[in-house]
Amino acid sequence: MVLSRFWYVLLGLLFGAALFLLHIASSMYNRTGLRARAEGLSSDAQVVSWYLRDDARQRSAQLIPFALESDVGKYLQKSNESEAKVPDEARGKLTQALARVNAQIPKEAGFDSVFAVDQHGRVVAYLGYAQASGMEDFELGGYPVVADALHGYVRDDTLVLDRMYRIVARPVEYDLASMPAGAIVGARVIDDRFARELSQRTGAAVAFYANGQRSAAGSPAEFATANLDAIVGDLTDLEQDKDYRDKGRSAVREIGGMIAVQYTRLPGEAWQLGAGYAVARQPAAVSGPLGFFSHADDKDKKDAKLPLAILAAIAAAGLGILFSVLEHTRPLRVFKTEAEKFAAGTVEQLTPSRFRGLFRKIASDVNDGVDKQLAKGGGPRRGPADFKEVLGDLPDQPMMSAFSLPGDTLGEPSAPSGPASPGPSSARSAPGRALPSPPGARKPRPPTPGGADSPPMPAAQLDATMPEGGLAGWGTGAPDEAEWQGVFDEFVATKQQCGESVEGFTYEKFVERLRKNRDTLVQRYGAKGVKFGVYVKDGKAALKANPIKQ
Amino acid sequence: MKAPLGSASLPSRRRSGRALGWLAALTFLVPASADAAAKLRGRVDGFRNLLNPVWAEARDPKQHGYSFREPVATVRAEFRRLFPHAPKEICVVAFAAAAQKAPPPVLVRVGGGRTTPVTLVVPPGTRLTFQNTDPFKHRLHGVGINTFQPADTARGMTREWSVPAPGVFEIRDELAPSLRMWVVADPNVAAIAYPSMKGDFALSVEEPGEYTVQAYFAGKKVGPALPVTVKDVDLDLTKTPLKVGDEKAAALADKAAADKEKAATEEGAAKPEAGK
Repeated sequence: MVLSRFWYVLLGLLFGAALFLLHIASSMYNRTGLRARAEGLSSDAQVVSWYLRDDARQRSAQLIPFALESDVGKYLQKSNESEAKVPDEARGKLTQALARVNAQIPKEAGFDSVFAVDQHGRVVAYLGYAQASGMEDFELGGYPVVADALHGYVRDDTLVLDRMYRIVARPVEYDLASMPAGAIVGARVIDDRFARELSQRTGAAVAFYANGQRSAAGSPAEFATANLDAIVGDLTDLEQDKDYRDKGRSAVREIGGMIAVQYTRLPGEAWQLGAGYAVARQPAAVSGPLGFFSHADDKDKKDAKLPLAILAAIAAAGLGILFSVLEHTRPLRVFKTEAEKFAAGTVEQLTPSRFRGLFRKIASDVNDGVDKQLAKGGGPRRGPADFKEVLGDLPDQPMMSAFSLPGDTLGEPSAPSGPASPGPSSARSAPGRALPSPPGARKPRPPTPGGADSPPMPAAQLDATMPEGGLAGWGTGAPDEAEWQGVFDEFVATKQQCGESVEGFTYEKFVERLRKNRDTLVQRYGAKGVKFGVYVKDGKAALKANPIKQ
Repeated sequence: MKAPLGSASLPSRRRSGRALGWLAALTFLVPASADAAAKLRGRVDGFRNLLNPVWAEARDPKQHGYSFREPVATVRAEFRRLFPHAPKEICVVAFAAAAQKAPPPVLVRVGGGRTTPVTLVVPPGTRLTFQNTDPFKHRLHGVGINTFQPADTARGMTREWSVPAPGVFEIRDELAPSLRMWVVADPNVAAIAYPSMKGDFALSVEEPGEYTVQAYFAGKKVGPALPVTVKDVDLDLTKTPLKVGDEKAAALADKAAADKEKAATEEGAAKPEAGK
């Protein structure tokens, strides 16, 4: 059983170690995931920031063709000369010029709206801004990005107007000795299309927000864009984030256990208005060792080498079964087979060399025990003895009834037997009963069984049950009837001690009965003689018969 | 807040509003009797040495107003200074010797990231009508002014406010940080005018008398005051222009700003700021 036990211990240790490792693994996974997520979010935020800046630079270059278009400078200059009102000719010509240039710009590099602004800040012409349709006094000159362009700078900005816009602007020069004739302004709406494009190019899940609302969102295919709506509820507490307030970028914030988010303010006027963008990632934490199953995807499961795990499980189970068969089933079966042979008498003893381990010891002990019992001439049977086997065919009326009650009929085979079964009251009161003779006194001959003068005997208390340690008496007594006087005296004394009546209980009857029983036992078992003993059973005197073999 | 006058279409309403503004200005600036009015023609000099405070603040990299801002090499340096747009931002005022009555309502257009005018000098009690000329709403409010709390003004709509007392009042927009307006209230204001791009202006005073001509920019006096005596004839003050900005001071301010910008740029290059 060593292997099996070792295997059980090993399996237990392995199971405990596996559980422990799974807990450690989940903790490490969560910690690493948290760190990776924070780093990933910071990286996403930085990449989005770079993208926005780079995109603004790229698009500002697309303003150069507008600025170099001769009609743009010319008609802006004409508009400058009329402080009271923008000349209609300038509006028309500029609109055409803008459309002409805009048509040559690749769509992916173009703008949603383009504005031509004169020195007064008035929008002389524009493309793609239907909101301003019919507004002759529409202007943009107060915004710093436009003012900078009118003063010779190219720069970007993020404006929150009716929608959120990424703006780039540059000056339009007509006379190099004078102020720029105006500015050309390009705008891109920050909407879902913009966010999707940004997400595709950066791989980040990003949502733009302004005025406490999510204004646009885009995410990779594996990220549910609807999850980004959760940022709306978080925006109210965002200003309490010290990093966000001071540096414009928040710490990583987890929203409802669904997504982790990092917020960044947008550069430009939007910064002061609290507008910005949020990058998000879904948390990759597991709730416990079993959490790995719910988080594993098909690829994880594919990479998990399931056949190897199954093979290991089968091998472990096989080893366990093998050890069990080798160390338990097989030895037990061999022992059973040998025991059956032994019981059938095919073999004289069990052969310990056929067994292993504990079975060998058991077989050896069994053999030793049998040898010892045989050496003693056989062992006693436990439990009540079969009276008939011991005493032969006995009459139903106990033959020993004379020991109990004087006057009971001895040797009436038809009389029913039964322990302590009293005889007829008339028999007990019959005259002629003699008191037991004192030891050494001449005993009268017992009457002939079935004789008319034989008094009825009381129910016998003879019990052939071997007492514990009774084997020690086997073969040691001498079958001498001379001992029976002592047995009679002891029996009478015991009856008296038990409060039983000894009236009519004579030595002759007693001896006659013992002789008959002795003969029966000797004949049946081939014993040399029988030794009788007295004992108390259930508060009454009883006899026991021990056949003597040698 | 109330709708523009009339029920014309939106462009018509805007034209009407614009006409109303000019009418109000003319009413304010032109005497009731043309014969009694006198024009004071003058010139503002050196306004290109002034610095628009909103734009100057926005160019500070610490304000995170942009992710990149670079000068165009072909634009001369003198034009790169963020001087104000004089026709909207410099207010030339003629102060009378005595208090004047409040003029009719003055129209203030709100659009394009600023108000027109940006600086306004009026007697206390003057009613101002703010008209939203942008295609989106504004939320104007007076800084520290109980009577001018933040409220939305939708596209094409107007909002009114009366200047409560002498002093300087700043108006801002919660939805447009670049929008800042200054209202200076002085009881002796007799007339105001806004110079052209070249700095020329013309004040119309109703009554002959002693006046003081003063330029205002961003809610503050700029340049010296010019005392004049008005009689029944027009006065030409162009020979004594109002010098509102000093070249040397502006050059020093430019240098300081450039140094600050350069330092911030280098700092930003060494340690990229969030959001950039």
